[in-house]
Amino acid sequence: MICNPAAAHDPLPREVFCLTADYDALLNTAAAMGVQMLESGAEAYRVEDSLQRLCRAYGVETSEIFAIPSLLIVSLCDPEGHSHTRVRRLYHRGTDLWRVDRLNSLCRWVCAGRPPFPEVDQQLLTISRAQGYPPPFQAAGFAFTAAFFTLLFGGTARDAFCALVAGVSIFLVKHPMEGRRTNSFFVNTVCSMTAALAAIALVASGLGESLDLIIIGAFMGLVPGVALTNFMRDVLAGDLFAGITKLTESLLTATALALGAGIALSLARYLGGGV
Amino acid sequence: MMIMKELLTGFLLPCVYAVMACLAFCLLLNQRGRLMVASSLGGGVGWAACLLCAFTGSDVVQYFAGAVAVAVYAEVMARVMKSPATGFLVVGVLPFVPGGGIYYTMEYCLSGDTQLFLSTGIHTFGVAGAVAVGILLVSSVTRLLRPVRMVQDR
Repeated sequence: MICNPAAAHDPLPREVFCLTADYDALLNTAAAMGVQMLESGAEAYRVEDSLQRLCRAYGVETSEIFAIPSLLIVSLCDPEGHSHTRVRRLYHRGTDLWRVDRLNSLCRWVCAGRPPFPEVDQQLLTISRAQGYPPPFQAAGFAFTAAFFTLLFGGTARDAFCALVAGVSIFLVKHPMEGRRTNSFFVNTVCSMTAALAAIALVASGLGESLDLIIIGAFMGLVPGVALTNFMRDVLAGDLFAGITKLTESLLTATALALGAGIALSLARYLGGGV
Repeated sequence: MMIMKELLTGFLLPCVYAVMACLAFCLLLNQRGRLMVASSLGGGVGWAACLLCAFTGSDVVQYFAGAVAVAVYAEVMARVMKSPATGFLVVGVLPFVPGGGIYYTMEYCLSGDTQLFLSTGIHTFGVAGAVAVGILLVSSVTRLLRPVRMVQDR
């Protein structure tokens, strides 16, 4: 049984835990939850805080959690002084707000009710298997983000229509490339170039009016808003490592966008002269 | 009548565009259901704050005000909806990410206008910094307001 003097008058039965097996199960469950949270784009402090609460809920007071976007370390110390550690390396991450929300609720639920680990693992598996929006919805996402931002920044209805097309072209390039896990700098460069080329073609054909507004609108689906936001929250929480990683990510994304559109614009100038 | 029309095209319509753009952006971040609607409204709230500060004549101040409004909205909604504040923040702050700045910086760089390139680049950094500081400010104040019990726990 896990020793915990603070929980001596705890109403919930603690006999269900058998020591060694339990530490391993707790580590695995906690690590699996942490990895999923990091992969879905949760901030480092949220992951550390959630896992700390999880461990404490199961009676482990001395847990050390360290999370940065590419690594998660969970370490526990049992009453006999043995330490149990799990290290998980993360290779892929994106943003999935639905999963962050679900995992957050799951963590609250687990901390409140202390269900057996297999049940928690089952829930984690269900969350990890859930699919995002189907491809047509994502295409619509890029298209309408672009169109409405073009309108917001002062474009006309015709510009918005061009941005719609440019947004769809971004999706058509991005989707197959992400399926092959290409590095994100290259993906962003190519996407931005495609959008700019589409915009140039549409303006040259006389449909679009202001090239810059169409390209900027199309950019907005790609800009590093998530990295910029979470960078600030990480730095604020004192996770400078995680913060610097995200700052670098947002600078790289911005550079990639500028590079891609720059290539397209110079290409157009070189070929057609006029735009 | 004129004022009404002015209000509609100059204020309400942009806010509606911001909300719609954020709604579409939710599809890319897999934000769903009632959270999708709630977080998108944040973009409209932020843009309204940004427009209301137009009298200052400085877009850094405007973006800062917008980011603060979005962050306050996000913290309030996080409590109301029992969902992480990040979700609301990430969606709502999108209109304030300087996509235009990135584009114009690149364009001046291409055309070889070093003066404009540098000043636009620095201005873009300034805007991004203002947005980040706005978020930081609200999050810090929220942490101050939290119950003290949690600090003692540690």
